[in-house]
Amino acid sequence: MLGVHIAPTIAGIYVAFLDVNLFTFHLLFRAPFVGLDNFRAILVESDNPLRPGFMDALRNTISYTAWTVGITLSAGLGVALLLNRRFPGRRVCRTLMLAPWVVPSFVAALLWQFMWQSDTGIINRILVDYTHLLDDRPIWLLGENSIWAIIVPTIWRGLPFVILVFLAGLQAVPDELYEAAAIDGAGPWQRFRYITLPLLRPLIAIQLLFGVIYSAYQFAIPFVMLGSNPGPYADLLMTLIVRQAFTNQLIGYGAAISTLMMIAMLLWVAVWYRAFRRDLVAAA
Amino acid sequence: MTALTLSPRWSRRIGNWALNLLTYAVVAILVAPVVWLVFGSLQTDSDLANGTYDFLSPTTAAFREMWDTVDFERYFVNSLVICSVAALLATAFASSAGYALARFRFRGADTFSLTVIGTQLIPGTMFLLPIFLGFIWLNQNTPVQLYDTRLGLILVYTAFFTPVAIFLMRAFFVAIPRELEEAALVDGCSPFSAFVRIVLPNAAPGIIATYVYAFLFAWDELLFAATLTERDSETIPIGIRTFISNYQQEYAQLLAAGVVATLPVMVAFFATQRWLVRGLTAGSVKG
Repeated sequence: MLGVHIAPTIAGIYVAFLDVNLFTFHLLFRAPFVGLDNFRAILVESDNPLRPGFMDALRNTISYTAWTVGITLSAGLGVALLLNRRFPGRRVCRTLMLAPWVVPSFVAALLWQFMWQSDTGIINRILVDYTHLLDDRPIWLLGENSIWAIIVPTIWRGLPFVILVFLAGLQAVPDELYEAAAIDGAGPWQRFRYITLPLLRPLIAIQLLFGVIYSAYQFAIPFVMLGSNPGPYADLLMTLIVRQAFTNQLIGYGAAISTLMMIAMLLWVAVWYRAFRRDLVAAA
Repeated sequence: MTALTLSPRWSRRIGNWALNLLTYAVVAILVAPVVWLVFGSLQTDSDLANGTYDFLSPTTAAFREMWDTVDFERYFVNSLVICSVAALLATAFASSAGYALARFRFRGADTFSLTVIGTQLIPGTMFLLPIFLGFIWLNQNTPVQLYDTRLGLILVYTAFFTPVAIFLMRAFFVAIPRELEEAALVDGCSPFSAFVRIVLPNAAPGIIATYVYAFLFAWDELLFAATLTERDSETIPIGIRTFISNYQQEYAQLLAAGVVATLPVMVAFFATQRWLVRGLTAGSVKG
């Protein structure tokens, strides 16, 4: 079982040291061994033509990950608090809110790609034609806006699962705690700050850990919405790797970026572990 | 008290109503795009392009045309075959491995969860590039054809989803009381027949949930499908991408393709929702 994961990973790291390009592709694994050249091209050589594309994709991936994870977690907690109250239609609402999760992510991408269309999409119709919030129609799928065109659908599709997890966590909080706090004179904000948040901390920690990993490795939504070349404002590391490796046949270069991403994620886990070690012990 | 100030009871009521309204609004925003997907697929291209939506006289023309426009049937059948078989294999492996992990103590059992999390840290492209080179090498040097075949994707998906499936199955097996099996053993069952006749039927909801989980993930997989296929074994996500790049103006057909691609997932999801949601959230809640 582990063999199927570890063997290809080691092979992948090995490929990062090979010069596999259009001319050496037929040699496959026997392509020339070039040591750290692929890494040097990305990290050190400022005049390397591949470097600006990498820096764009790196910057976009960081902001894409930060925004999607940040908004999904905070909005998810907010909606979970709303849905955890007693109100008419609670059961129906809790089922309906799963809708974005049931739609496969490539369909979510297709749907939003259509909704973002500048002239015919429903979003500009609502913003410009129906409500007159904006005077002229923004172009969402090109240029500076395009990073938001992929962030919003990612958040939309990620919310239901986060809400589900937080709801399960909220239901596990004993009512007596809130009652006792209310008797002691704690207001709603204090109850949230000193009871709900500390008890949900382990859940937030786990969601944060996986949220960052899955966002950084997101491929389906940007690829379906913007194609293999999303442009400098929305190109992510994953789309960059696939484009360089399969369109331009720079396979060693793609493997080098993949290796760097894996190292970045290992660092992220280390940072995460230092920050949340206490909560893991508390949960176990 | 003057007439203008609200009694505390009333101000709390109004606050509650406001929160209820906010809740309904949030749920409506979450659901709206899906409603739009279905409504849009029942319109004509020109209505969608001009904004002259006509919700009272829906048409299913887009659904009929879409099958011809991009040969959607090919993608659909490929997806069905690849995802069902891969999910079946992953579930079969996961059932036996998950049972072993839940019942027998052996070295390394504790580090297993850690290893599963570890596999999630590896970017898909890390496996993908050597697998791609390996498939090409096999094609050129051996009679084993894996590049652009259903078998190739089935193998990759099975390998990819088995670790998480084991993780899920283990949780389901742990929940089955050991006493059930012990009673069967006392009554003269062999360990194997106790597994088949007592444990498996009790684990059935878990097995179904794991199968559906693996199926859903395979259905949604794009990275490997986009790069390890060329024509013969392309799956639905690739079909949708082809649709967007070549038939951008056929809005209704695009949305109809989206509806058809969602239907199998939706049926599988709601049929097994109870077990699936419990299985998926249990792991993270225990954290």
